[in-house]
Amino acid sequence: MSEEEIRQEESIITKAKNNPEAFATLYEKYFDRIYYYLYRQTDDEELAGDLCSQTFVNVLNNIKKYELRGVPFSAWLYKIASNEVRKHYRKSKGKKIFSIEEVRIKELIEESDEVWDEEQINKLIDFMKDLPEEMLQVLELRFFEERDFKEIAYILDITESGAKMRTYRALDKLRKKFKIKIKYDG
Amino acid sequence: MGRNEIRLRRHRMTARGTERFRNYNSVLKRHEENRRIKKVIRVFGFFAIILIVIMLIVFLSRWEERVQEKNKDNTSVIIEKENVIPTYSNPNNPSNDPQDRTS
Repeated sequence: MSEEEIRQEESIITKAKNNPEAFATLYEKYFDRIYYYLYRQTDDEELAGDLCSQTFVNVLNNIKKYELRGVPFSAWLYKIASNEVRKHYRKSKGKKIFSIEEVRIKELIEESDEVWDEEQINKLIDFMKDLPEEMLQVLELRFFEERDFKEIAYILDITESGAKMRTYRALDKLRKKFKIKIKYDG
Repeated sequence: MGRNEIRLRRHRMTARGTERFRNYNSVLKRHEENRRIKKVIRVFGFFAIILIVIMLIVFLSRWEERVQEKNKDNTSVIIEKENVIPTYSNPNNPSNDPQDRTS
């Protein structure tokens, strides 16, 4: 995100604090990203749509309290969306769902000793089923949402080093189990 | 059974799917409703606090009145008792015996 874009967003947020209609531009800009983030965690279009609307209602309800804290505005949106998902699973008492795209998995695997066919992907899914939820959340934000560690830490309310540690541990497990190299920029 | 449920999607998500959920006017409407509800709750809370304070004042003033009335009753008893001349009978000193004095 360029400096100019950040400044533009800031001025929209300042306006939206007094006039919620000014927020429409940012709603249009971030709607898809937040919707997909929620969809990945619910695998239900209707539910993701409801949670997404609730996320933006909460954003408008709390925009006066928003302060710039060294992370992009979108991180605040992810944080609110993440809280909405957590609230939903607490109420429904169901198992946490992670819906991932086959194409994206193949994109992420940079090097492998084996051919990534259906069987390998099923093995990976079985492996992911047993990963702790915290690790999956970090992996999802890092590799599917492409957030940096500072943002991940802010979204999940953990420290930056904690976010890094969780990611490295999960990647180590993956490497050991599947002998693969994941596209990773550190 | 694993801890999480991992589902695999064959196709990439497209922006077309989100169109039917994208409605900023409805978000604005819900935000306005929430704001109104918050305002009503705030006003209700304000009146509730005022009511509690008034009730406390009334309760305290009544309690104070009751305490003052009790104090009044006690003072009058003390004054009445002060007017009574105490009489003692001492078996060792017969001169103090009131019966002896009358004789």
